[in-house]
Amino acid sequence: MRKTLPPRKLAIYGGMLLGFVMLESPMIMIANKIDPMIMGAPFLFVWNLGWWAFLTGLFLLAYLTNWGSSSVPAPQRNR
Amino acid sequence: MTGSIFIIAAFMIIPLLVGVVSARKSQGTSEDFFVQGRAMGSVAVFFTVAATWWSAFAFLGSNATFYTSGPVYLTALAWNLLFGFMYYWVGKRVWFLGKRFNYLTPSDLMGDFYNSEALRILVVLITLVFTVPYLQIQLTGGAYLIEVASGGAIPFWLAALLFYFIIIVYVWIGGIRAIAWTDVIYGALLFFGMMYAGYYISQQVGGPAALFAQLQQSSPDHLTMPGPNGNMGYSMWFSLFVIVAIGAFMGPQIWLRMYSVKSGRLFNLMPFLLGLAAFAYFGSVLTGYTGVLLEPGLENADQILPVMLMNYAPYLLASLIMAAGAAAAMSTANSQIHAVSTVVTMDIYQRYVNRKASQARIVTIGRLSLVAFSLAAYILALTVPGLLVTIGIAALAGTAQLIVPTIGAITWRRAHPMAAFWGLLTGVLCVLMLTYGPTVSNPLGLHAGIWGLLLNGGLFVGLSLVLKRKDHEVVERFALARQEYDAEYHPERLEGASQPVGEAATAR
Repeated sequence: MRKTLPPRKLAIYGGMLLGFVMLESPMIMIANKIDPMIMGAPFLFVWNLGWWAFLTGLFLLAYLTNWGSSSVPAPQRNR
Repeated sequence: MTGSIFIIAAFMIIPLLVGVVSARKSQGTSEDFFVQGRAMGSVAVFFTVAATWWSAFAFLGSNATFYTSGPVYLTALAWNLLFGFMYYWVGKRVWFLGKRFNYLTPSDLMGDFYNSEALRILVVLITLVFTVPYLQIQLTGGAYLIEVASGGAIPFWLAALLFYFIIIVYVWIGGIRAIAWTDVIYGALLFFGMMYAGYYISQQVGGPAALFAQLQQSSPDHLTMPGPNGNMGYSMWFSLFVIVAIGAFMGPQIWLRMYSVKSGRLFNLMPFLLGLAAFAYFGSVLTGYTGVLLEPGLENADQILPVMLMNYAPYLLASLIMAAGAAAAMSTANSQIHAVSTVVTMDIYQRYVNRKASQARIVTIGRLSLVAFSLAAYILALTVPGLLVTIGIAALAGTAQLIVPTIGAITWRRAHPMAAFWGLLTGVLCVLMLTYGPTVSNPLGLHAGIWGLLLNGGLFVGLSLVLKRKDHEVVERFALARQEYDAEYHPERLEGASQPVGEAATAR
């Protein structure tokens, strides 16, 4: 079995880990404040919205790159 | 009033029509009734997973939590992403093994890999015992909405009865195909309803920016943790993230939606789609917070959305959005009823009562189980009160414990049946003791489910490292299946495996 992740897969999973850490580790308490309000929204909300957008975009990238695997995406077919 | 009754009637009749149409495609086999012959397409899979996953807990409970407890429910953005990630990473492996070894229920996989009858029975008990309370909250939420939308003309008990009657009829005739088809309608209605309700209601105070500015002046505690009551801080933020995502993911209704999928490629896309859908929670932010300004002191917080709609939106729009809320509840309830009936039929009836049951007999038992579990949930809804989110989290903490032996089964050849059994049992007992024990409080403020998972996981890993499996044939059979999975979807993991097989290979 291969022991290391391919670089593309490593980048995808590393990015996901970063996103989840920013949203769910105790670091969230640093963002737990109202000011500065950004576009009328409290900072905590903007922080969450930003990292949610980052992770959602990364999931799209993961899909487009077959989650970093070397196999080529296959067309839908009945198996 | 006539208009809202019309909307409620349409909401009731449409799924019946869908059930009749879908029944025409039915093949009369248990595999078709329970997992649509493992041939569910991409649109149906997305909507039925999303609508099943999003329930009254999300539609009503989210508004109520922003209203009473501040921003802690914002962690829902992350738990949706985690749910999506698990659907890819765990779900795709479960799907592959389910197709390979013909599984229909969670205990099929666990019982087969761990080769343990005791574990199989424990998994069945956990899926049944912890799914019924979650089913109860769907019924309660849906009935609230129908009662309010009808202006009280349809009382709670009758609304709940109608709600389940409709579900039983269309699931009876159409099985999981009818559920998936109705979930396409319900899913679209539910996401539209959450977002538009928030947008519309927030306009009553001048829009989102004005809403936050006013809230900062009048009730700033609502905008940061630990919220106005001081009890929804980081511990709860993290607990909700883990328990809700894993607990819902391990529910039998989601397991069936892993086994039903036609193509493995769809699992790759689901995290993005499920993550994107989480944007609808901003509708709940706006509704809950506008409620703080305009309707403070509401006795039952779960009713904040219907109350706001009835007081501030045109009657027809209010009824339509409440129908969307009822759709959220019904789309989860139908899947749960169907899933528990599958568990009872396949794991109890066919395995222990009548091993030689015909396909027709199995489907009939499945249908009768629908009625029995609906009745149990109906009685609970009428007799056991409680906030939707509170009941929901307790139920999810129980099913969440199944993730430990599941990950063991799909990834680890050393995973031992005794370790899985005792870990699972300890985890569930911990959840029950910390949730219902009169004198015990949760250490560090973390939810009982988190402590259950820590004990469960620790015992599982520790005992698996100490004990050795003797059923080498089973271990090797699964090792080979996992190798085939890697060869097909992750060929880079296999040294010297230059040629992927199956779906991946066909693209070359």
